[in-house]
Amino acid sequence: MGAILTTDRLTKNFGGLTAVNDVSFSLEQGEILGLIGPNGAGKTTLINLISGAFPPSKGTITFEGRDITREKAHTVNTLGIARTFQVVRIFSRLTALENVLAAMVDRKHKGPWSLVWDSFFRRACALTEDKEACATADSLLDFVGISKYRNEQAGNMPYALTKRLEIARALATEPKLLLLDEPSSGLNPAELTGQIDLIQKINAQGTSILIIEHVMKVIMGISHRLIVLHYGEKIAEGEPKVVYNDPLVVEAYLGGDSDAQH
Amino acid sequence: MSARLRNILLWVVALAALILLPQVVEDRYFMHIAVMAGIFTILTLSWNLLAGYTGQLNLGHAAFYGIGAYTSAILAMQTGLSPWLGLFAGGLVAALFGLMLGFPALRLSGPYLAITTIGFAEILRLVAMNWVDLTRGSLGLSGVPLLTPIQIGDFRMQFYFERDYYYVVLAAVLFTLFCIRRLIGSEFGVTLQAMRDDEAGAQSIGINPSSYKLAVFTISAFFAGFAGGLFAHFARLVSPELLALHNTFDVLTMAMIGGLGTIAGPILGAVSLTILSEALRSMEEVLKIDIRLIVYGLLLILTILFMREGLVGVIKNVWARVKGDS
Amino acid sequence: MDSLFLQQVLNGLITGSVYSLIAIGLTMIFGVMKISNFAQGDYSMVGAYTAVFVMAWVGGWLGWIGSVVAAAAVVGLLGVVTERLVFRPLMTRWTDIDMIMVSIGLFILLDNLAQLFFGATPRMIGDPFGGTTVDLGVASTSLLRLFCFFFAGITIFCLELFLNRSRMGVAIRATSQNRFAAQLMGIDINQVYRITFGVGALLAGVGGVLYGTLFAIYPTMGALPTLKAFAVTILGGMGNIRGAIWGGLILGVAEALGGNYIAMEYKQAIGFFIIILVLLVKPSGLFGRKEGA
Repeated sequence: MGAILTTDRLTKNFGGLTAVNDVSFSLEQGEILGLIGPNGAGKTTLINLISGAFPPSKGTITFEGRDITREKAHTVNTLGIARTFQVVRIFSRLTALENVLAAMVDRKHKGPWSLVWDSFFRRACALTEDKEACATADSLLDFVGISKYRNEQAGNMPYALTKRLEIARALATEPKLLLLDEPSSGLNPAELTGQIDLIQKINAQGTSILIIEHVMKVIMGISHRLIVLHYGEKIAEGEPKVVYNDPLVVEAYLGGDSDAQH
Repeated sequence: MSARLRNILLWVVALAALILLPQVVEDRYFMHIAVMAGIFTILTLSWNLLAGYTGQLNLGHAAFYGIGAYTSAILAMQTGLSPWLGLFAGGLVAALFGLMLGFPALRLSGPYLAITTIGFAEILRLVAMNWVDLTRGSLGLSGVPLLTPIQIGDFRMQFYFERDYYYVVLAAVLFTLFCIRRLIGSEFGVTLQAMRDDEAGAQSIGINPSSYKLAVFTISAFFAGFAGGLFAHFARLVSPELLALHNTFDVLTMAMIGGLGTIAGPILGAVSLTILSEALRSMEEVLKIDIRLIVYGLLLILTILFMREGLVGVIKNVWARVKGDS
Repeated sequence: MDSLFLQQVLNGLITGSVYSLIAIGLTMIFGVMKISNFAQGDYSMVGAYTAVFVMAWVGGWLGWIGSVVAAAAVVGLLGVVTERLVFRPLMTRWTDIDMIMVSIGLFILLDNLAQLFFGATPRMIGDPFGGTTVDLGVASTSLLRLFCFFFAGITIFCLELFLNRSRMGVAIRATSQNRFAAQLMGIDINQVYRITFGVGALLAGVGGVLYGTLFAIYPTMGALPTLKAFAVTILGGMGNIRGAIWGGLILGVAEALGGNYIAMEYKQAIGFFIIILVLLVKPSGLFGRKEGA
């Protein structure tokens, strides 16, 4: 198996602050790669760089052999990378179903004007009456376990479930690589187990995953490999057990303002 | 009875009532009001496509209205183009300007977008005032031709009276309504609403906000221009006044009071406010003052403070309560 | 340089100083509360009419000074009242669109109430200096206009003193930089909002007297100062007071020169041309801070 994603000497400066510094790593096809580090280590910035939210100051990002360093967020998604956000960014005035339907549109081949054309000459009277599309969306809602909220406005759903909705929405774009930014924050212990199952189920279907997580139980349980960031630099990489006992990592967590939950 | 059947029945009854209305009410003044209500319905529906469904506050909507009116009028008067084609030509030229305004709008939001769109409309209004050779300046173009008669076999329909225009405008409103309903319900519409709710979230599922904003500015402008053309051939007078800020303010008041981001809202708002403003105008003779706009301003403030979802929200709540009780 | 040019620059600076004053009120309110108040120009209109009434009562230069004080008081109070009734309820659940719309509602309301109460006939504020002109060598202007310019300057200077020296001023600046941190520091945020809005309106009111001194006064005059103030504010960066000062002067001079050398008919649109150009190049304004990454 080859690498699906590679970053080479990735660096991001915000003014005088270097949020990500010279980070190189690769993510193997089908792998779950955990990304950990103390607060402010640059984990979310790294995901923002990969997903195209903003361009890096230096370095390159390669996805499936293609240079995506300068691609915009929407292009990155159509190439096969989907993401979730640390603080959920769902479409709060749309229903759960519509959130997923919005993500299922084939944007690789269709721009706005061909969608305008479609709305008059192709689709059923309304998207929510398109049986085929709704069946797919429903199966995704079911997969993440929120079918009960199908017709609920997303803004009215419990927070923990909006995290799942965001995952369903990301999956609806049929990604080859999924970037998860703290999928377990704000969940109670019972919900945590469900979340672990869900992530493993997604991975079992062949989707590679890069995951940021503070909850050690989750990250140690599901990651095939770990990368540790500290002040924007990669300080360790390898098997979870090995990394966990690495003296450098221990010091980073204990020395810094650690908020890792053991 | 299934919900679908009930819906269809409701539509048929409403449509029949609207078609029969001029046969019952023969008052020309009333028909005039009905025509204006229809034109403002189209304007409000198209404005709402931007503000309510895409979250783009366009305060220059009257410019598209004016451009459509001038285009259709000038084409009919100078080239003799059929006013029927002129309506669509007006829409297309307005759409072109919509596309043009869409470009700066890509990078702007909130107050920046609001003031840029006002600026756009004000500049065009001054052009209409000062390009005297083309527009006859502040006098405006008078004597815009009427819509030409339609002849199908022995059936001949002429367009002289308000009630004739009533049917034209009714058809135009239905056409607009059909288009906007289709757009909103489709993948395109869901995309717009996704952008409105969270732009970064929308980008993360492959939506390129810029291209959609351009498209929706263009479409919204088309319908406003179309409404402008209707006005031109109905009122037979086109002046720079059409592009003035207060027309946009009327439209946004109607949309807010009806219910922003809904289909029924703009229709309710446009119709009820047009009727209300005529009622207030007739009260002017008694009160000796024009309180129409005072009421508009007050209603707009009160709606935003206490009735966020507008009349549509109120009706929904009442309906839910009635259903809950029975 | 010919004297016509310098004359236009001087005229522009005088008008511009009044634009600055009105725009500073707008930009302050935006900086602290994130409200884009489209009714700002109507506060100026109310200020101008206050002056009309005071001048009719007292007259002379004493009346002129008195009318500025009265306008400040009346419009400041109006600002506090509208903040409490119209804007405060929205502060907790606002969206850009709601805030802009509600201020447009206020704009429509005040505009038309003024037509109702004051009638449509334009008014003038009499010249307390009896039309005395001042020759500055290269250009000349009336003593009154010069007085307006200095008065605008003094008002801005007093505002700077207030913002930099008083406790409330510091609290206002702190809130404008970081609302949450300010709250954590124990600043009474509602009090800050009230004072900010009051002062912002007051500046528009004083600006209105000056505006009414330079131009005519009529009920729907509010639209122009609103639009000018927005143009200035965007030019200077929303929330940036220094930016608003420069923006006002630039707009005033650009209008005077453009109106004279390019096209008189388009004078009122020059501000829009400038801001559209500026926004195309730099979406956060000429002196704007870059918005969050």
